[in-house]
Amino acid sequence: MDELVNKRVVLITGKGGVGRSVMTAALAKVAAGRGRRVLVTEIAEEGDDYSPLARHWGRERLPRLPEPLELNVQGCALLARTGQELFLKSVLRSATLARAAISSDALRRLLSAGPSFREMGVFFQLLTALRDQTGGGPTHQLILIDMPATGHTLSLTGLPELLLRLVPGGPIAAALKEGQRYLNDPALAAAWVVTLPETLPVSECLELIDGLGKTKMPVGGVVVNRMPADPFTAAEREALTPLVEQYAWLGRELFRKPLVAHRELARLRSHTRLPVFVTPELPHDGLIPALAKLLDGASPMPLVTGGA
Amino acid sequence: MASVRIGALLGTKRVIVCCGAGGVGKTTTAAALSLAAARAGRRVLVLTIDPSRRLAETLGVSRNPPDPVRIPKERSDAAGITTGTLDAWMLDIKLVSDSAVRRLVKSEADAQRILSNRIYQQVSTMVAGMHEYTAMEALHRLVHAGQYDLVVLDTPPSRNALDFLEAPRRLSGLVDTRAISAFLPKSDSLVARTASRVIEKILSAVFGEEFAHEFVGFLTTFTGIFQSLNVDVGEMRRFLSGDDVAFLLVTSPAPAALTEASFFHDKTRELALPFRGFVLNRSHVTDAGRAMPSLPEGASPAVQAGLPKLLALAQLERAAAERDRTLLGELERRAGQSATALALPELPQGADDIGTLVSVADALAAH
Repeated sequence: MDELVNKRVVLITGKGGVGRSVMTAALAKVAAGRGRRVLVTEIAEEGDDYSPLARHWGRERLPRLPEPLELNVQGCALLARTGQELFLKSVLRSATLARAAISSDALRRLLSAGPSFREMGVFFQLLTALRDQTGGGPTHQLILIDMPATGHTLSLTGLPELLLRLVPGGPIAAALKEGQRYLNDPALAAAWVVTLPETLPVSECLELIDGLGKTKMPVGGVVVNRMPADPFTAAEREALTPLVEQYAWLGRELFRKPLVAHRELARLRSHTRLPVFVTPELPHDGLIPALAKLLDGASPMPLVTGGA
Repeated sequence: MASVRIGALLGTKRVIVCCGAGGVGKTTTAAALSLAAARAGRRVLVLTIDPSRRLAETLGVSRNPPDPVRIPKERSDAAGITTGTLDAWMLDIKLVSDSAVRRLVKSEADAQRILSNRIYQQVSTMVAGMHEYTAMEALHRLVHAGQYDLVVLDTPPSRNALDFLEAPRRLSGLVDTRAISAFLPKSDSLVARTASRVIEKILSAVFGEEFAHEFVGFLTTFTGIFQSLNVDVGEMRRFLSGDDVAFLLVTSPAPAALTEASFFHDKTRELALPFRGFVLNRSHVTDAGRAMPSLPEGASPAVQAGLPKLLALAQLERAAAERDRTLLGELERRAGQSATALALPELPQGADDIGTLVSVADALAAH
């Protein structure tokens, strides 16, 4: 966890429903508890009605610009439009021109037709937050981003390379290159993949690791969330299995779940050399503090050695 | 009780649009719906964008072919399709967008000029709403070609089920030609020329001079295309509002499911789209028929020790089943008279064979 907490920017990725926002909130707590100044963010859409991440701080949605959420933790939404405005302000030296550009609906549309202009907005807002200085040091020592679904994640991490091919010079290129210096440096940035110990999530996690690698995004590791506990001893399992198979008993799915979970965890472990952390199923009440406490002291699963 | 039945939709509608957030099993549901209709004797196409490799393997078709493909005979036989047919098209955004360009421009030379444009090559897959537009465009065309009785559309993956509904508006806003053409160099009014100079200044500042120039050139070429798109979006919207179409929301028993269902329902009403039902996926509703285990006579010590723990798990499953039943009840109430709600069980882990898909199809058809 030291590794993760000491980065400048960490992307929390993974498919929907694996507990990404829960993990983001818990990691913010871990880092803040270690005295890091954290900014939690998520990639939002204009007019989003609710944010699962903001709910962990009792809010409907995250503010447009950073506001304190708790000690050492600030939060804001990464919105294409906010970033686009910041960008226009920075490139249009004339204030009148900038105002005209920002308030012109037609121009905004024209710019939106530009390649990846939405992603560019998000990217630029992130870059602004990374640059921000207070008292000689970065305002936000660690920026945690709750990333959207896989496709959108890769379109953001792949943005600099894609766009630099198209726009090799000018202010956009300069911003992209500056962003790349953060995002492609394993000392400063990492993507973490959150997944569940189930068949499909593990397969998609492995595909995502692959995809991130192709966009040159350093991957920090994997968190396997909601690992079920196995209440049965080996002897009990053996004695009960024929009965559970024979009757359509209530409890059968949960009886089998730990076996599937272990099989899938082993498959994940044998397919990647990245650090893999495992967190258990936890009760809903007090979930974030409990998870933060576990993560704070967690050590990764050992690598599979021998003929995996 | 709702008067709408999924089985009836499968037999009568020409288009079924499956919406839903990522990770709720939307693609599988779309495939099962298509299978069910094909089993009932209809000529069916399932249209998905960027589908999982798994589904392609289950149906025995390749990913991203240039046109719809018939599923292989042995799969079709295994799925019990006799008089009906099932085609699948897992479509590639770039291919569809290229063919749209070919159709929309007047001459092959114009088409070539656009297709070989460096900016177009990148932009065609990056413009906001393009995935959704592409899906709708393909849908519209295939329905009107008349070779299918039913097209089932699996909407592109998104965080939010509403994205698909909003996309046409986003895209038609983007291609609002009045807004764009006013700033293009061709315009001859003095105001437009002045505005155009200001805009060029801004674009140069943003993109750099060289790219800004190229970009304006690209937009000029594209104005015509944008105009046709604009018309199409309106026409498609009208088509989707019609009686031949049914929108379904696929959801899972997550805490936010009900909130999402409400938003979606309101949104379809606001846009006058024919919402016809909720599919509650991965639910435990059907566990209700199962019984709690009891201690067999002469049980071994290991069974005696293990059974209480199994009973504890059974309690958890029963609680989950009750929660899901309540949720289904809420969805049914929400659906009202003009729509329905249906629960499907969670599929066994890794079960993606055609037999599993058939069992889901049967559950859908029987509703």
